[in-house]
Amino acid sequence: MNGSGSRKPHGLRAYAATMLVTVVVAGIAGAGAAILGEGSGWSAIAINAAFFSVAMGAGLAGCVWWWRGIDEAAREAHKVAWWWGGTGGMAVGGVILLSIALPDEGALLLQGMSAQDIFTAGMGAIAGCQIIGYTIAWAVWWLRHR
Amino acid sequence: MNNRLKVLRAERNWSQADLADQLGVSRQTVNALETGRYDPSLPLAFRIARVFEQPIESIFSE
Repeated sequence: MNGSGSRKPHGLRAYAATMLVTVVVAGIAGAGAAILGEGSGWSAIAINAAFFSVAMGAGLAGCVWWWRGIDEAAREAHKVAWWWGGTGGMAVGGVILLSIALPDEGALLLQGMSAQDIFTAGMGAIAGCQIIGYTIAWAVWWLRHR
Repeated sequence: MNNRLKVLRAERNWSQADLADQLGVSRQTVNALETGRYDPSLPLAFRIARVFEQPIESIFSE
C-alpha cells in the first residue's frame, strides 16, 4: 500500500497531550501571578496580564499545532460546535445574565458580591454556557456522522 | 452524495484503518464517508481518487 504522502492525523493522545501542556502552563502562570502579582495598583495588573498573556499565547500555539494535525471531519465538527454550540450557549448565558441584571430583584441575588465578583461571575456564566453548548454540539455532530 | 468507497475498499481487502492511513484521516472519518454522512472536501476527494486509481466521478455520484 502506498502512503500517498499522507500522515496520520492527531488522535486522542495528541489532544490529551495538548490539554496537559496547557494545564501545566496555566498552572505555572497562575502560580507566578499569585506570587508576583499580589497587591493592588497598575503594577499588579501588569504582572498578571504578562503572566496570563504568555499562558494564553502558549495555549493558542498548542491549539494551532493540534488544529493543523487533525483531519477535515474533525475540524468540521469543531467548526459546527463553535458556531452552534458557542452561539446557543451565549444565547442561554445571555438570558440568564439579562434575567438577573435587568430587574431590581436581580440585585438581591448579587448582594454581598464585589464588582470584581460580579464581573467574573458574568464572564464565567457566559463562557461556561458556551463550553457546555460547544461540547453538546460537538457530540451531536459526531453522533450524526458515525 | 453517494459513493463507492466501501465496495472499492472491500475489493482491495483493506480495513477502514488501512484506508484511513493512506488518506491521512481518522478511521471515524472513513466510516462517515462510507455511510454517506460526510461529504469530503475536494482535496480529500482527489486523494481518494488517487488511492483507488480511479476518476472522481466513478467513485462519487449525486
